Amino acid sequence: MKFNTDRKWLERRAEQEDRHFISVGGLISTLDPTCETEVASPPSVETTKTAFVRLLQLARRERRLTLEKLAEKADVDLAELLKIETDETFTPGLRTVHQLGLTLDLPAKKLMVLAGLLQVKDPHLQQASVRFAARSEPIGNVSPEEHAALEEYVKFLNER
Amino acid sequence: MRETIQIIDSQSGLPIDAEIFDEITLEHFIETQADWRPVVLDAARALSKDPNRATLIPRHYHWDWTRKEAELKMLALKFYGISCQGHLQGIMKVDTVARSCRLPEQQGKPLVYIDYIETAPWNIKLLMEPLGKRQQYRGVGSRLFEAAVLQSEEEGFKGRLGLHSLPGSEGFYVKECGMTPVGRDPHKQNLLWCEFTPEQSRRYLAGE
Amino acid sequence: MNPKRTMTLNLTDQEMVVLEELSVQKDLSKTALLRQALRLYQMVDARISRGEKLFFEDPDKQKAELMVL
Repeated sequence: MKFNTDRKWLERRAEQEDRHFISVGGLISTLDPTCETEVASPPSVETTKTAFVRLLQLARRERRLTLEKLAEKADVDLAELLKIETDETFTPGLRTVHQLGLTLDLPAKKLMVLAGLLQVKDPHLQQASVRFAARSEPIGNVSPEEHAALEEYVKFLNER
Repeated sequence: MRETIQIIDSQSGLPIDAEIFDEITLEHFIETQADWRPVVLDAARALSKDPNRATLIPRHYHWDWTRKEAELKMLALKFYGISCQGHLQGIMKVDTVARSCRLPEQQGKPLVYIDYIETAPWNIKLLMEPLGKRQQYRGVGSRLFEAAVLQSEEEGFKGRLGLHSLPGSEGFYVKECGMTPVGRDPHKQNLLWCEFTPEQSRRYLAGE
Repeated sequence: MNPKRTMTLNLTDQEMVVLEELSVQKDLSKTALLRQALRLYQMVDARISRGEKLFFEDPDKQKAELMVL
């Protein structure tokens, strides 16, 4: 690509750009602006929460468990489980997370961090969580790619 | 693709080498979340305290992380990044099949659609100035925009470009870049659809 | 730009006519047009594979016809 190498051109364009915001509405108009709702939650919690929900969903789907079956097995409230999966701003109770960890064979303490119940400063956790969330889908059959992503993420959580 | 271009270092006022590339990875998306977002939120909090500056409050969006990896495999999509001194300074997503021209004289012809374009918050003068800070680099967004135009030429679309401008950016795309404001799109929250003809693109690149 | 490989395409007369007409209409070279077709096909296929549905909508919005690919 032949980018313009004229310094005056660059200076002029930079000056024009400085006078404005340059955001476009394609992708952004389909996303949720989170600025207004960001009060107590530090930015990192939101990403790990997404990973938390996705982790539960995948682990449940791998075992071919419906929400009802999982609620029964884990001895937790079905309504709360439903809220966890559908409302990403919802923070589940400690016992619920603990029980889910036992039932789905996931490290309970890590789950609590992901769910936003425990505060831990761990940039690696956030990065791994984002990567995992990007590779998975909330519904449908677990694809080989998702299975691999899930295994990798669980291994990572267990090692830390 | 990976090329060296110049942007401006605000501190010295001089051009500085930066890299523009299209091999965007998940790590880059992670970087926008981890590094950019806290600064945007800080700026938003600071600006929200001043009623005179309420209109400047930046939005940071909850990225839909699902399918990001799958999107990277789509031929129709291209993600560009600009990095300088080892940090991501700007990111852009373009789509070559999603939309086509709406201007009557080029109706239905293919164009490069800018789906997303963003510079790191520390490079945005309008954000940094009210905080009493100096922006770091200048011209990053312009370089990304230039890349979109150049891609349109490479595709054989002759520089045809389209985008939905957010309200705060209409001045930039229409007045400064010289795009035609075609009309408000009822299917896109009445955002202004802006389009480049081949002649307008040529003028933009030439600096006319 | 990425390195390119060459492929020979055998098209019927009718297909060539369509290709040429579309090229003129879209102001694209024949190669660029086929490239667009490939991109579109991949995109549509990926979304349908994910469970999304593709519809054509009547201008009067009376009928929406499901496209099955």
